[in-house]
Amino acid sequence: MATDFWASSHYKRWIVDRATLRQARADDLLYIDDPEHLDFLAIYFADRKLGKKLGLPQRAIATATVFFRRFYLKNSYCETDPFIAIAACCYVAAKAEECPVHIKNVVQDARQIFGSQEHYNVKNFPSDNSKLAEMEFYLVDDLECDLIIFHPYRTLLALCKSGDVSDDPGDEEEAGEVGVGIASDDGPRYWGTGQGQLELPHNGLQSAWFIVNDTYRSELCLLYPPHLLAIAALYMTCVFHPATAARLASASASAPSGPGAPAADPPPRRSSRQAAERKQPAQDPLAFLAALNVSLPLVATVAQEIIAMYALWERYKEDAAGADPGGTPDSRGRTTAAS
Amino acid sequence: MSIDEYTSIIQNDPMRMYRAKRDATRRSVSSKYTILGFISSGTYGRVYKAQSLGEDAKIHAIKKFKPDKEGDVITYTGISQSAIREIALNREIDHENIVALKEVILEDKSIYMVFEFAEHDFLQVIQHHATTLRTAITLPVLKSLIYQLFNGLIYLHSCHILHRDLKPANILINASGVVKIGDLGLARLIYQPLQPLFAGDKVVVTIWYRAPELLMGAKHYNKAIDCWAVGCVMAELASLRPIFKGEEAKLDSKKNVPFQRDQLLKIFEVLGTPDEQDWPGVKDMVEYQNMKRLDPYSNRLHDWCHTRVRSQNGYDLLRQLFAYDPDNRLSAKEALQHKWFHEDPYPTWKWVPFCVLVLKPTDFYSAFQAAPQQIPPHRRITQDEAPSMVPLPAAPFNSHTQSKPGSSASLSGGGPYVVPSGGNGGGGNGRKKARMG
Repeated sequence: MATDFWASSHYKRWIVDRATLRQARADDLLYIDDPEHLDFLAIYFADRKLGKKLGLPQRAIATATVFFRRFYLKNSYCETDPFIAIAACCYVAAKAEECPVHIKNVVQDARQIFGSQEHYNVKNFPSDNSKLAEMEFYLVDDLECDLIIFHPYRTLLALCKSGDVSDDPGDEEEAGEVGVGIASDDGPRYWGTGQGQLELPHNGLQSAWFIVNDTYRSELCLLYPPHLLAIAALYMTCVFHPATAARLASASASAPSGPGAPAADPPPRRSSRQAAERKQPAQDPLAFLAALNVSLPLVATVAQEIIAMYALWERYKEDAAGADPGGTPDSRGRTTAAS
Repeated sequence: MSIDEYTSIIQNDPMRMYRAKRDATRRSVSSKYTILGFISSGTYGRVYKAQSLGEDAKIHAIKKFKPDKEGDVITYTGISQSAIREIALNREIDHENIVALKEVILEDKSIYMVFEFAEHDFLQVIQHHATTLRTAITLPVLKSLIYQLFNGLIYLHSCHILHRDLKPANILINASGVVKIGDLGLARLIYQPLQPLFAGDKVVVTIWYRAPELLMGAKHYNKAIDCWAVGCVMAELASLRPIFKGEEAKLDSKKNVPFQRDQLLKIFEVLGTPDEQDWPGVKDMVEYQNMKRLDPYSNRLHDWCHTRVRSQNGYDLLRQLFAYDPDNRLSAKEALQHKWFHEDPYPTWKWVPFCVLVLKPTDFYSAFQAAPQQIPPHRRITQDEAPSMVPLPAAPFNSHTQSKPGSSASLSGGGPYVVPSGGNGGGGNGRKKARMG
């Protein structure tokens, strides 16, 4: 199971289409003027502060976020309290990812973070542990007991040589986590027959890692299998990350059949693969991605969606900055449009 | 209700509507199953035998996790790590040789896991042969049981799951003789762990089946610990008693893991004291200095096997499963290829009704199989002779350290066992374990 995504509950039961997502928000739409504000809410609630405060590893925080998204496939924001749902998601995710935290710490930290004026200003988070435990119970039921989540991080680690990560702690504390655990993939890749690893220049993997982190701001984790998100993040790194883009340009210049479109030409891929095996420095990242056994048009679609998510995020920030502090999603977390 | 009342509810308990909606749609255990009887209990809760009220009228084992009580009031205190593991892993896996989870029902603050039912377990078979039949398990049956056990283990390991509590009581057999590995309460995924395995659970595997690297305080361990346990189970099936029956040294009050002197001695008496040639990593083990103070022994596994395993290849399989160096120990996959399974006498075909091979038809559950509606005879709860990964309810020595919700509790099934009472005939006595499958 751990290597077989296609046999997992994640793939079989929890990859949904856009129509399902729209249906899940039907009740919330009744209370809102601009549907985009629901997407703002999705960003608003994807906050990592509680998970970070609890000291959860990034993967556990990501698992909590996926639990939250799945919960709101079956429920509406307007009928529930998203803050206790977030706390319960963190509490269950910590257990599911084998890094458990005590329930009283979750309650304490949630009250502190959600109650703080600068963040959420939610004053009625219950102080009673049993309220959170009760929410956990209902949450696990709504999640249909499917608690094992696949994340794009795994694909990133399987695809990339993480050598340059260990010698540089990176610009954020989380970057160090890239190397945690067993970095190499000892099973076959669950999404195809691709082989070999991509050599990314300095900080390239971290760049892709941060893009993956950002995807949890959206509902992409419900729409696409995680390996596609990872490959799209790598593709975007190749295009947007300066050092990686520079490497790409030099590799393309030296390739015999010219740059071409990323997915266009099998022959240069072969030659550059062989070149990489002969330990020549110029590995063409795009050729590497093209050699993966995934649908490149789909990867391009996912990349487009990630870019759209960044655009939405910008508008969200402008909206938050433009409104007065009390006017952002209100303290109950519902019906933002009213503000 | 007035707007004010409504506002007050929203302020104080915004999730009330949500819960009411969920509670209204939930189907209860009693609407889907008739409880036929009680199978066993432990610190985790109880296991019941139940029949589906649906068309198929199938028999199931329902494991009910005990709700926590404060005084007489049942309260929510959080789902235990063990229950989360067992539920999460069982939802993903599917294999003929693993007990299948049919569904999970959450009701009244309790969790009910509904498993397929299996009539027998390895421990029952061992005791039946030891006390009632007084004969060894025949080689074809022995080979079939071990072969199927490895087949299930290969699946778990290919899923990157360590079972971590393989022992005869956790390995079930259904009426058709199909082996089913049960109780994943201590199992966990080892794929890219976020923290080292030992950080989560200080002690894993019931003492008699615990691999030497664990006894020596290894900080890292892998699938090889399950293969050692299978070696112990195979030896126990062959000899009808545990091969390494040591006394467990208990955790001290500061929860430090003590040196398991007696268990290591029991192993060394048969396999000899390990040296750096057998096991290059031994000198780096936490307990190496303690180990060196023990009397030296030489390997006499060959003699041990002579009367009990009755086969050179059987000895060879055990020898490789009992390799001290985890890196040299046979993997489940390699074990399945071993000559012992592919020489005369061959393993039995598993679909021969199991009771025909090893049990008399009147034994065990046949009485109420004939009349499935009948409530089984009164059962007497007894305690397991074997140690368990879980403290008995009556033994408070570390229950408070292990069953804390939200802590990395190492609860597995276990604890008191049930024995069919006299009416059922020779079920053997003693440590028959929760047949939760």
